[in-house]
Amino acid sequence: MNWNVIAENAPLYLAGTKLTLFLAFTSLAISFLLAVPLAFLRNNERPGLRYAVSAYTLLFRGTPLLVQLFLIYFGLAQFGLIRQSFIWPWLSSPLVCVLVAFVMNTTAYSTEIFAGALRSIPVGELEAARAYGLPKRKQATRILVPAMLTRSLPLYGNEMIMMLHATSLASTVTLLETTGVARRITLDNYIQFEPYVTAAGIYLSITFVIITAFQIVQRRFAGYLEPRSA
Amino acid sequence: MRILINSACALVLATTFLTPAFAAEKVTIATDATFPPFESIDSNGKLIGFDIELMEAICKEAELDCNIIGAAWDGMFPSLIEGKYDALISQLTVTDKRRQVVAFSDIYDHPIFRFTAKKGAGITISPEGVAGKTIAVQTGTPMDAYVTAHMPNATIKRYDSGSAPFLDLANGRADLVLGYQAQIVHSFLQKEDGKDFELTGPEMTGKDAKEFGEGVAIAIGKKNTKLLEDVNAGLAKVRDNGTLKALMTKYFGE
Repeated sequence: MNWNVIAENAPLYLAGTKLTLFLAFTSLAISFLLAVPLAFLRNNERPGLRYAVSAYTLLFRGTPLLVQLFLIYFGLAQFGLIRQSFIWPWLSSPLVCVLVAFVMNTTAYSTEIFAGALRSIPVGELEAARAYGLPKRKQATRILVPAMLTRSLPLYGNEMIMMLHATSLASTVTLLETTGVARRITLDNYIQFEPYVTAAGIYLSITFVIITAFQIVQRRFAGYLEPRSA
Repeated sequence: MRILINSACALVLATTFLTPAFAAEKVTIATDATFPPFESIDSNGKLIGFDIELMEAICKEAELDCNIIGAAWDGMFPSLIEGKYDALISQLTVTDKRRQVVAFSDIYDHPIFRFTAKKGAGITISPEGVAGKTIAVQTGTPMDAYVTAHMPNATIKRYDSGSAPFLDLANGRADLVLGYQAQIVHSFLQKEDGKDFELTGPEMTGKDAKEFGEGVAIAIGKKNTKLLEDVNAGLAKVRDNGTLKALMTKYFGE
């Protein structure tokens, strides 16, 4: 065992962990803002809108994230037209490519989670809102969105954890996040167990924090959905 | 009766455990096949290249039953150390750091290292000249070690494979790639993607910087002295009978 190498590279791991957290939570924050309205469009009365959103979620849930990332990072760069266009200064950065891929991917999953929750809201809650004479927009913001989100909590917690772990793919396009750091140490020192176990420990700790936070939120906001004890 | 059964068991056990020692053992040799013209995979999924042909010739001369397989670069040295592979051939430069963990055969080539950049880019190859430029290299290679040690003012981008740095050079994400001269010429400059690029800066070898190592050799597990002897004997024969020279001519010209 060679744990000295890990101790010597602690600053690298710290920087890698920061990047992992940045990638995961930036993607999740942006995707949350996109997925809530998309969930409503996914259930829209107009078939055109409904199908457009399902086509998008099918495309991004139907292909591996790694393939999407390679297509965005290496694939798009192959076209001279794109390299000369105004988006190239953005696309030439691996960070932007990674965030675009992550946001597109996790938004597709989150949209389906929220849309499913939206469909499962009992009609009674909506009828009550109508009976109180709430205008359409207030029905959405006061009743539907909170009911949708509380019902989505367990599934959305899973999606957050999956997204956290998916950030490890960023190392394939030169970003030195936690997994990238582990791989670099492997290549410089010819050991594999210690660097990857350390990376696994870091992911586990972050996941533990996410799970605990979700349990607290669940108890606070979704308690009314729990089966009542006699 | 009991004695008979016992001795029968002992015989069975003995044959089971001893047989492999008599049979010709298969030697597993790994290569990172992202490094043409030295090692790559052709359209039929077959390993091809200078190192592959050299290794096959050595195995033939040394009468070894070799199985050359493609492997991921990042796991190659650890897997050799753990004994998953018996040897590695992948244009591996011999360095002190690598000598600490594996044994090396005799050196079979002295590669030249060069930078490549866009034609007319006018980048001076010096620590000051490359300041602010982006250099792409494969992680954990002599090229990585060199730019990391000598060009701290450049942005260094590190890739898992030997071919990815050229993708990002061609599309403009990187300004320079440091590689083996033969690799740059044969797998990039002669291709459509590389037609606007050229070799730049001085030719560098292990004499110019210790990061470039003493030359390239086959890596073998430290405890496997028998295989090391066999490979060295095979290499000597391949050198003496002209096969090595013929391969050099075939792949790199004069």
